[in-house]
Amino acid sequence: MNNVHLLQLATLAYSLAVACYLLQLFMPRGWLQKLAFALVLSGVLLQTGCLLWRWQLAGFLPVTNLFSTLFFFSWALAACYLYFELRYKIGASGLFVMFLNLLLLSAALRRDPALPQLIPALDTPFFSLHIVFSFLGYAFFAMAFSLGVLYLWQRFLPNSQLPELATIRKLNEESILLGFALFTLCLIVGGIWAHWAWGYYFSWNIKGVWSFLVWLFYAGMCHAKFVKRWQGTGYALLSIAGFGVVLFTYLGIGVLLDSNHPLE
Amino acid sequence: MLKRLWETCCSLKLAIYLASAATLLLMGGSLLIPFNAHVFGSMDRLALGTWLDQFAANSLEKTWWFYLAAVIMLLFGLNTLCCFIDWLVNIRARWRKSGEYLLHLGVILVLIAYTWGNIAGWRHNGLQCQIGGVTPLTKWPGHFIRVDNFEPVFTGQGPPQDMISDITILEGDRVLHQGRVQINQPFLDGGLVVTPVSFGRQPSGYRVRLADFRRVDFKTNTQIRLNHGGTLRVLRFLPDARRQANGEIFYRSNQLGNPAFELQYTHPNGDNWRGWHFLRQALPKELVGRGLRLRPEAPLFDSYSSLTINYDPGAPLAAVGSGLMTAGVLLALLSFYRKRQRQDRPEV
Repeated sequence: MNNVHLLQLATLAYSLAVACYLLQLFMPRGWLQKLAFALVLSGVLLQTGCLLWRWQLAGFLPVTNLFSTLFFFSWALAACYLYFELRYKIGASGLFVMFLNLLLLSAALRRDPALPQLIPALDTPFFSLHIVFSFLGYAFFAMAFSLGVLYLWQRFLPNSQLPELATIRKLNEESILLGFALFTLCLIVGGIWAHWAWGYYFSWNIKGVWSFLVWLFYAGMCHAKFVKRWQGTGYALLSIAGFGVVLFTYLGIGVLLDSNHPLE
Repeated sequence: MLKRLWETCCSLKLAIYLASAATLLLMGGSLLIPFNAHVFGSMDRLALGTWLDQFAANSLEKTWWFYLAAVIMLLFGLNTLCCFIDWLVNIRARWRKSGEYLLHLGVILVLIAYTWGNIAGWRHNGLQCQIGGVTPLTKWPGHFIRVDNFEPVFTGQGPPQDMISDITILEGDRVLHQGRVQINQPFLDGGLVVTPVSFGRQPSGYRVRLADFRRVDFKTNTQIRLNHGGTLRVLRFLPDARRQANGEIFYRSNQLGNPAFELQYTHPNGDNWRGWHFLRQALPKELVGRGLRLRPEAPLFDSYSSLTINYDPGAPLAAVGSGLMTAGVLLALLSFYRKRQRQDRPEV
């Protein structure tokens, strides 16, 4: 067995969890919800095992190429969902998050899982912290996106198995705040590292500009929750749009454009 | 009237409008960056003030959005400052928002620091510093950098794991700073930062054989006394040069291509000559006529350490700003969860 087998098992666990959540929507059973949670928990444990194994093999936190960042993003998203599930028991709302997680994992599993060599410039704790804060931030933004979709679903196609609108809104706000806080730390650590590595703390490379835009967008969202017009549906729509900005910053620029954060 | 103006300046809606406008403008404008390297490619190599002057002003059709975004960001910064002052004035009633407003103050300081650093600062990007030699810092008149020692660190095959340069910063002959520069371990002093970029060798001259079979290393400033009393001095060496139709000599690159020496011959009897000798061509007849023979044998190379030397006077202020932002974020999270416990949150 190698570390990728653990990841495949985790993917299987998440797939089954999605199926359970889907069934739960139309055929509510207490045991289905418990089974789904157990499957998510085992998926997270398997993924954590895989991450630690790869970390031990590489000798550094392996988050330097597209496979490993997709994998880390997926792990952060699953961990973030666990936090909300344990804290608020959001149940079938996990359907959207886990579905998104499956998309991330299926994209990762199609790529080469080989551990790349670490280039000397990345051999610093600043890099690990920058990446960890960045993807935890992204994970909370992805969570907010899922909650935004869920809010619209519940508003226009109400389902008794899904949380109330007020609860979803509350979770969405928390998700945005946590994501914004983590992403702020990501930018601060990244700025310090850039100053040490390149001699300036802000780069006008397109990745730098869009990371600032992600921060500005979610800073705006942290304020928008106080404006009546943007509460509820407006906030859900903003959460969805914001995740579009996140995806372009992470994947669009990393894969399609020439940047100082290339993804291969 | 004044109260209303102040309320507008502190307005949350104004902040959202300005942030949205800046976001949309930067979204569109930034997409021009990867496709117009001739305009935007030097943004990181130069302080922004210099870039605006040298590049942006000459390509306004591609850079207008940048000026507009800068104005909006300035207004956004002022709006944030007004919000912070308003909070400070009412701190007794609003102290629970300390985290959020520390974050605001941090953002204001970082914006000020960035503007200040880019107006008053300068950047030397990837400056090739000859090992043991003194390299002038042209953007810091009267100052020089000397690389006293350089050591690349290799572990097996592949790129170097580190590039260690021992440097001295000089003001004229006076030593200002001494330190070591490594990957991710820059030399830092106030706003001055020196980081390693790369290293290499560059051609610095040629070993030549003279008519009397002497071997001499010809480099810039080499001077030799010839047997008949004359003196030959190397004024300049260009590894790759070209003579234009009007006779002017052009520097092409620092790779060995068409190497040339600018030479000066002097004799106590007043018989002087100055001109160029392209090594791929025969020795100028003026030198042959004075009994000189030169046969190039092998190129000479000097090692260099390529360093980035930037000065950003706003950097220490930016560090304070980011410290406040970090503290603000942590406090804001703490207060968010306390408010949640007390069921205190904006309602629909």
